[in-house]
Amino acid sequence: MSSREEILKTAENLRWELGERFHDLTVEALYAEASRIARKTVSAAGTRPGFDFERALDRLVTGKWTGFPIMFALLGIVFWITIEGANVPSSFLASVLIDSLHPLLKETGSSFGFPWWLNGFLFDGMYLAVAWVVSVMLPPMAIFFPLFTIAEDFGYLPRVAFNLDALFRRAGAHGKQALTMAMGYGCNAAAIISTRIIDSPRERLIAILTNNFSLCNGRWPTQILMATIFIGALAPPLLSSAVSALAVVTVVVIGVAMTFIVSWGLSKTILKGQASFFSLELPPYRPPRIWQTVYTSVIDRTLIVLWRAVVWALPSGAVIWLVSNIHVGNASIAEHAIASLDPIGLLVGLNGVILLAYIIAIPANEIVIPTILMLTALVTGMTGVGSGAGVMFELESEAATAEVLRAGGWTLLTGINLMLFSLLHNPCSTTLYTIYKETGSAKWTTLSALLPLSIAFVVCFLVTQLWGLLF
Amino acid sequence: MTTFLILLAILLTGLAAASLIVRKRRIRARVAAEDALKHIFHCDSSGTPCTLNSLAGALSCPIDVAAEIAKTLGEQNLVAVRGSELALTSEGREYALKVIRVHRLWERHLADETMVGELEWHKEAEEKEHTLSHEEAESLSKRLGHPVYDPHGDPIPSPSGRLPGEPGKNLEAFREGETVRVVHVEDEPGNVYKDLVDAGLYPGLDVTIRERTDRGVVLEHEGRATFLPGVTAGNLRVERSTAPVKTGPRKTLASLKPGEMAVVTGISPACRGLQRRRLMDLGVVPGTRIAAELRSATGDPTAYRIRGATIALRREHAELVYVD
Amino acid sequence: MNPLNRDERLVRHGLDASSADVVIALAGNPNVGKSTVFNTLTGLKQHTGNWPGKTVVRAEGSYSFNRRKYKVVDLPGTYSLLSASADEEIARDFILFGRPDVTVVVVDATRLERNMNLVLQVLEITEKVVVALNLMDEARRHGITVDDRSLMRELGVPVVPLVARTGEGVPALLQRIEEVATGSYECRPRRVWTESPKLRKAVDRVVERLKRAFPTLPNARWVALRLLEGDQRIAEAVRTGELGRIASLEGTAVMRKAKEDARVVA
Repeated sequence: MSSREEILKTAENLRWELGERFHDLTVEALYAEASRIARKTVSAAGTRPGFDFERALDRLVTGKWTGFPIMFALLGIVFWITIEGANVPSSFLASVLIDSLHPLLKETGSSFGFPWWLNGFLFDGMYLAVAWVVSVMLPPMAIFFPLFTIAEDFGYLPRVAFNLDALFRRAGAHGKQALTMAMGYGCNAAAIISTRIIDSPRERLIAILTNNFSLCNGRWPTQILMATIFIGALAPPLLSSAVSALAVVTVVVIGVAMTFIVSWGLSKTILKGQASFFSLELPPYRPPRIWQTVYTSVIDRTLIVLWRAVVWALPSGAVIWLVSNIHVGNASIAEHAIASLDPIGLLVGLNGVILLAYIIAIPANEIVIPTILMLTALVTGMTGVGSGAGVMFELESEAATAEVLRAGGWTLLTGINLMLFSLLHNPCSTTLYTIYKETGSAKWTTLSALLPLSIAFVVCFLVTQLWGLLF
Repeated sequence: MTTFLILLAILLTGLAAASLIVRKRRIRARVAAEDALKHIFHCDSSGTPCTLNSLAGALSCPIDVAAEIAKTLGEQNLVAVRGSELALTSEGREYALKVIRVHRLWERHLADETMVGELEWHKEAEEKEHTLSHEEAESLSKRLGHPVYDPHGDPIPSPSGRLPGEPGKNLEAFREGETVRVVHVEDEPGNVYKDLVDAGLYPGLDVTIRERTDRGVVLEHEGRATFLPGVTAGNLRVERSTAPVKTGPRKTLASLKPGEMAVVTGISPACRGLQRRRLMDLGVVPGTRIAAELRSATGDPTAYRIRGATIALRREHAELVYVD
Repeated sequence: MNPLNRDERLVRHGLDASSADVVIALAGNPNVGKSTVFNTLTGLKQHTGNWPGKTVVRAEGSYSFNRRKYKVVDLPGTYSLLSASADEEIARDFILFGRPDVTVVVVDATRLERNMNLVLQVLEITEKVVVALNLMDEARRHGITVDDRSLMRELGVPVVPLVARTGEGVPALLQRIEEVATGSYECRPRRVWTESPKLRKAVDRVVERLKRAFPTLPNARWVALRLLEGDQRIAEAVRTGELGRIASLEGTAVMRKAKEDARVVA
């Protein structure tokens, strides 16, 4: 036997003799030595300052009566700044990229003698989808992520996880999931990356699989539009905006409830029984460095996610244009698809247009409403709205949008179901791709798409049946 | 056309079902063969003769089935028949050790990485030992940090097929008043094992022998005294403990209120695997001073000051840390 | 102003880590400003969050100092190198098999005791270590003083007080790294030993056999401990003799290069 094999054999035999305490002994010896060195070389000033700012702050933000109010107030401020602050740059980008640049590109195309189909395919399809994603997605993310990162750098976020852990523990999840959820209100794809802070694999998977129930930035406009057109309109004019706001908040709350229910369900079924260990370090507060934070969070989070979204939006824009412009028989592919999807759509209180829009606009939720409007105009043969087959559009006034949708056969039920479907359906392809990157598993990626999708169908189906019974 | 498609579908379904049944039967045959090898191995190591009768008893099957199995194993050169006794060939022994390795690794996995209760371990491992591939077993072993004992205290055979003798001695070997450390809790038969689990006994635990009578023995540990009948006590193996004798209930980290401080005396042996390693990595080892600092707004978790860092632990984990 | 900008001996190369003379491994606990040290050295801008465990992938960058090119490899932040987590394995394998010329362990001066665990473990594996005592400003703010000279005596390797955010102490760090890499500073690392006689005996038996097979192995005791812990990666390195190749290296990359240069001149 070689001397190398002999070494291994000796070690192997000794292992049984040493038994299980071996690891403990090694670690204990290391820590004993570490303690001894630290005692010898570190001296803390004898008197602590009379008022310890950090401890006082910790008591305040984790206090029984003060912890949650502070948390909700800060969260509210962050969302408010994001929504208000994003309006201006968003409409600026839209006016530049969609209103000015888009016609200009088409003209340039024509002047180079592009055939109509190439012009349409390139600029009405691919370019427009990308422009839409950029103008809707970029500004809120560029505001939300730096704010979030500043709170993170300061050290506040771990305290939030500390406060909320009890809730998540009961659902079999990790307190840090509170933060990945909050991140999800900005962008699910970025939130999936942020689940890296959860160090136990089981809890991290739960956070990934349920993140979708945090209503992302791309879905807020859909919710607000539906709430305004279909629910707010039911109330007297004075109350209508309050009622529609209430409707959106209800959807958010349903989302939070679903997060806990599904987390609990997962931890009782597929992820059953895996032991895990919870420890959460509360780092010392550190003054955040604002500019560096803005820089790195824009680079690290916003641009990476935006890039992925753009990469997915390109082919999707092409598909959207192609299905509306390629004709088979006497109708476009889109019209055939809508006709065959209609029965399924109606069963769950939606319609073929919505289902097709969700299929072809999978890269980004931002382009779902423009696609729906375009497809509705296409199937109803409306004239005077939009600019032709395959060209996504949005309308200035909600009343005009409502008119288009009503012409497409939409009712209050359709509106409510679309709100629910938008909350519960599968994540966008950018997020799915990110999930695949993070988990490295096709199995979990598939589950993260099919689980919410089937929940969305079941919930919409039940609501529709209940509706039928009641009215 | 439609009729043809329906016929095709029925045909395919039938084929799939048939192949499933065949597969199932093949697996069942494998399970029986592997269980037989294990039985002969255990007879070998305990020095009891292994016959077709004992094999039939262990597999709970008729003796002619046992004979059939023995015959097949003989053909595969795994078992040799000497007169009426069955013995393992060296290939057979190697095979049996592999099955035992998977069984014990899986028990270790259940104990360290899952929340499956100890009474379920054996049953689940009995099934898993026949289905886990060699590669899966090795990657499991790696993930577990290549353990050498299963959670009952049985040594896990090495990948190269080595296995030491059983650790520890019977309780008989020690006197009243002596403190011993449990090194092995036999998990068969299940009802006796359940009594031992209910008595709160597990490997790594220090117990003091309080009283010894003809009927059994009274053990004291962690502030409780338990009477074990002779049969039950016979399923424990122990060794002399070097730890200082401790009586009375243990105080744990979870009992500290914010502002209080204590010194760690140990981590419960019930805290195993990943949990134990993580806890120790945080610096929770005997001698560490820990102060409770903050309670979360909901009352759990609690943040502790551990070696200069503030770390929040849930109550269920803080309860595993003994302090003084 | 960043004092580094005035140090004309330092040239940052960012991501371009090709043809480096010296390889540096950057180790440390999570959340000790390791990424800040990395950014300060290389001029890159890795995100550094106030969260444990931010550096998930291995990052590389480089800089030049005194006309030598240094490649810096940022290892995942870990508390230990003993448990079997993926991060710890990456860090451990790089320090052992990646054969860095210098391993810089970044420690948090305000939590020295906790950080010392990793330092002691790194010292078991390699002796070419520089300890960067980071966050000295916070330590001062909390009234904590660390006697870096006596720490240096205790550990047997250079200790450099540092405020990576502002660049304070970085010139000294660069200097120390150079000294250790070129061998002009001789490290005599402290190695910890357990009280358990049973364990001692076991380790001695394995070490004895290891020394016979690999006479030049610098960290035989650590290898023995790993084998006793059942570490299959190390067992594999013993079986294949990979360990021997590490042991038989004639010093570090810099020394090899210096030798080659000498040969060219001669």
